[in-house]
Amino acid sequence: MKRRTFIKNSSLASSTLLVPGFLKACDALPLTSEGHKKLVIIQLAGGNDGLNTLVQFRNDIYLKNRPVIAQKKEQLLKVSDELGFHESLKAFTALYDQGHMCVLNSVGYPNPSRSHFRSTDIWQTASGSDQYLRTGWVGRYLEEVVKNPLGAIEVDDTLSLLMKGETINGIATKDPRLFYKTTRDPYFSNVLRTNTDIHLSEHNLGYLYKTALEAKSSAAYIYEKTKVYDSKAVYPKNAFGKQLRTISEMVNSGLETQIYYASLGGFDTHANQLNAQKRLLKIYSEGMRAFVDDLKGTGAFKDTLVLTFSEFGRRLKQNTANGTDHGAANMVFLIGEDLKHKGMYNTPSNLASLDANGDIEYEIDFRDVYASLLKEWLGTEPSKVLDGSFKTLGLV
Amino acid sequence: MEKAHIQHLYRRAGFDILPKELEILSGKDRKSVVAQLFESSKKMVPLTVPTPKIDAYLDSNTQIDRKSKAFKELIRTSRQKHVVFNRAWVNRMATTGQGLRERMTLFWANHFVVRSNNILFSQQFNNTLRTHALGNFKEFVIAVAKEPAMLDYLNNQQNRKGAPNENFARELMELFTLGVGHYTEMDIKEAARAFTGWRHDSRGTFKLTNRIHDDGEKSFLGKTGLWNGEDIVRIILEQPACAHFIAEKIYRHFVNEETNSNHIEELAIVFRKEYQIADVMKYLFMADWFYDPKHMGHKIKSPVDLLVGLMKTVPFTWDKAKELKYIERLLGQVLLEPPNVAGWAEGRSWIDANTLMIRLKLPSVLLNDGEIAFDVKGEFEDSFEAFDQKNNFRRKLAITKNWNRFKANYGALTYDVLVFHILGASVSKETNHFLKTLEKEDQRNFCIQLMSLPEYQLC
Repeated sequence: MKRRTFIKNSSLASSTLLVPGFLKACDALPLTSEGHKKLVIIQLAGGNDGLNTLVQFRNDIYLKNRPVIAQKKEQLLKVSDELGFHESLKAFTALYDQGHMCVLNSVGYPNPSRSHFRSTDIWQTASGSDQYLRTGWVGRYLEEVVKNPLGAIEVDDTLSLLMKGETINGIATKDPRLFYKTTRDPYFSNVLRTNTDIHLSEHNLGYLYKTALEAKSSAAYIYEKTKVYDSKAVYPKNAFGKQLRTISEMVNSGLETQIYYASLGGFDTHANQLNAQKRLLKIYSEGMRAFVDDLKGTGAFKDTLVLTFSEFGRRLKQNTANGTDHGAANMVFLIGEDLKHKGMYNTPSNLASLDANGDIEYEIDFRDVYASLLKEWLGTEPSKVLDGSFKTLGLV
Repeated sequence: MEKAHIQHLYRRAGFDILPKELEILSGKDRKSVVAQLFESSKKMVPLTVPTPKIDAYLDSNTQIDRKSKAFKELIRTSRQKHVVFNRAWVNRMATTGQGLRERMTLFWANHFVVRSNNILFSQQFNNTLRTHALGNFKEFVIAVAKEPAMLDYLNNQQNRKGAPNENFARELMELFTLGVGHYTEMDIKEAARAFTGWRHDSRGTFKLTNRIHDDGEKSFLGKTGLWNGEDIVRIILEQPACAHFIAEKIYRHFVNEETNSNHIEELAIVFRKEYQIADVMKYLFMADWFYDPKHMGHKIKSPVDLLVGLMKTVPFTWDKAKELKYIERLLGQVLLEPPNVAGWAEGRSWIDANTLMIRLKLPSVLLNDGEIAFDVKGEFEDSFEAFDQKNNFRRKLAITKNWNRFKANYGALTYDVLVFHILGASVSKETNHFLKTLEKEDQRNFCIQLMSLPEYQLC
C-alpha cells in the first residue's frame, strides 16, 4: 500500500459508508420459530440487598437485626399487609401493580460463595459452587442454538464471561455507530484478507484474527440495522438509562439478536448503605419503567422478557458501618407482558431459618430459572445449554 | 544468549529492549544477562506527583469536615491527581532503567488490588508495591495489610471486636495468598477477628487500636492460639497451597496462561523455602522451559503493555493526562481503577471486538495524527470540560513525539531487522508476504504499519 493511502486511511474521518459484501454472511442468522423472543438480562452488580428492596416490615427478626438500616414502614410502597418495596422503586412498583412482574424469592444455589467474582461466575456460567466452567450460559446458547456471535449483545465496553463460549463470543457494544466506524479501515481489510489461514489456528494470533473478522461483520450488521431507528422515548439521563435505550433501539429496529445483557454496579454496600442503595434503586426503577413504556409503545413488549439478578443477597444482620456484608440467596425479578405468575412466585425469605453464616437459604435453584427461560421462552431444550437437569417453573 | 531469547526475557521481565542494548547483551551467557537484569533493578525510586493543595490542607491541621466545601474541593483535587499519577506511572514504565522492578510493581498491582479516592493513599500503596516488588512475600503481605488504601478498600477500617467485617480476611485468603478451596468459612471468621482494630488514622498512618482488637483465642487453619494479624499471615504462608497459588499466578502472567503443573511445582518449591520473590523470579528466568518457542510471542499484551511499548519505541509524551486515561478506558485497563478486587483477568479477556479495533488503530492515532472517536456524555464521569462539546466525536490527541530519538535508535536498521525488533522473531509466512507489499519509504512509517498489525498485540 502506498504510504499516502495508508495515512489517509488511518484516519477514521475517511471511512466511507458502504454496504459491505460480507453482510450477506449475516443474513444467514437462523430464525427459529421462537427467534423473535427477546431476553434482557440485568445484573445488579455488587450484591443488591434484597431484604431492603422488598421489605418484610412487620417482621421482628428483620427489625431487630437492622436497628439503623431497617426501612421505615411508612415510607414503603406496600404490596401486602406485610410486604413493601423500597421507596425508590415507585416506577417499578407500578409495573408490579400492572401485573408485569414476577418476584422469585430466595433464589440461589447450594453451598453459596460469598465472593463477588466467584458468585458472579457461578451465575454467569450456571455452574454449581464446586464446579468451574469456562463458558457462560449465554455463550453456550450462542454456540448450541444461534451459532452466531450476533445472537447476544452486551451493552458495555467489555464482554462478560456470561457471553463467552468456547468458539463463539457475544458482542459487546455501547454504541453501534462508534463500533462500526472503528472497524471500517481499508488497511485492516487488507491485513485480514492476507491472513486467511491464521485465524483458523489455536494460537493467540489466530484468536486475534478471528476476533477482528467477526468484529468487522458484526459491527456492519448492527449498524446498518439500527441506524434507521431512533427511540423517541425519554430515558433517565444516566449510564443505565442509556444502556436501556440502546437495547430498545436494537430490539425495535428488528435486530435478530435475542439476548441482551447490561449491568448496573455499585450495590456492594458494606458501609453507609442507606443513601447508596436509595440512589441505585431509583436509577434501576426509573430506567426499567422507561424501557417497558418504550417497548409497549412500539409493540415489542409482548416479545420481551427482562430478568434481573444479583450475584448474591446481603446478610440479614447489619454491620457496624451501617452496611451489610455479603450474603447468599436473593430475589430475582422477571418483567414481561404475559407472565404465568404475576406478583410473588413464592413466599418471602424465611428469616427465622438462616444458614450458619446468618444468611438466607435458597429455595429456588437459579438454574431452574434459566431452564424455565430456555424452555418456556426461548424454546430450547435446557440440557443443550445447562450442565445437569433442572426443573422448569412454569414462568412464561 | 540468542537475541530472540534476550528479547523474550526483556519483554516479559521488563518493558522490551532497545536495539543498542540488545546488541550489547547478545552473546553473553544467560546467567550474566539475568544477573544484570536484577542488578539494574536493585534501587527503588519512589514515584510521586506534587500535591501542594492537599499538603497545605493537611499541614493546616484543619478539623476534617466531610461536608465542607473545602473538603469537597480536596476530593476533586485528589481525583485530578490520580489522572496525573496514572500518566507519571505510564511514563515511568516507558522510560525506566529498572524494568524488572517496574514490571513486578505492575504485576503486584494486579494481585494486591486496591482502589482509593485519596491520592496520597494511592501513591503510598503504589510505592509499597514498588518497595516489596522483589522482596520477601511475608513482609509484603503484612505491609499491604497495613496500607490505608487496603484498609479502606476491603473495609478493615470497620472491622472491630464483636462485630467483625470479613471482607479483608476473605480476600486475603481467596485472592492474595491461598485461592478458593484451601480454607473454610470458619477460617475467614477467625482471621477477621485477628485483624480487628487494624486501622489507619486520618493521615493514613497505621495504628492497632487495642480497644476494638479481639485478642482472644482463635482457631485458624487447624491451629489454635491468641493469634493476631501477623500470626494469621505466618500461618497462611506455612500452607503449601500459598506458595503454589503465587507460583501459578507468576507462571500465568510471565510464561503462559496455559499452565504446566510440573513447572509451577518447580516454582512453588523454590518460593516456599524463604518466600523471597527475587529467588523465584530468578529461577524462572534461568529455566530452559521459560525460553520454549511456544511461549515466545504468545502472550497478549495488556493495554498498558501496548501503550508502554509504543512509548518506548517512539518516545512520546501525553500533553493531556486525561487523554491517556480515556485511551486506557477504551482499551479496558485504567491504571489505579481496577474493575474489582480480583483485578484484570488478562490474556484473551483483554480482547473483544471493541478493544481489538481500538488496539489496531492506536499506532496511527497516536503517531500518525489520526483521529479517534470517543463515546460522549454519560460515558466518562468528567470528560465534559476536557473535550470540545461540539466537536468531540472525533479528535486528534495532544501528543508530543520525539522522532529524533526513534531515528537514533532505529533509523539505521534494515527493514528486516526492524521487523524483528517490532514484531519479534516469529512472523508468519502470510504476514511476511503482506509486509512485502507495503511501501518502505522510511523506517518511521514502516514502523507504524508494523505496529498496526495483529501480530504487534503479542509479546
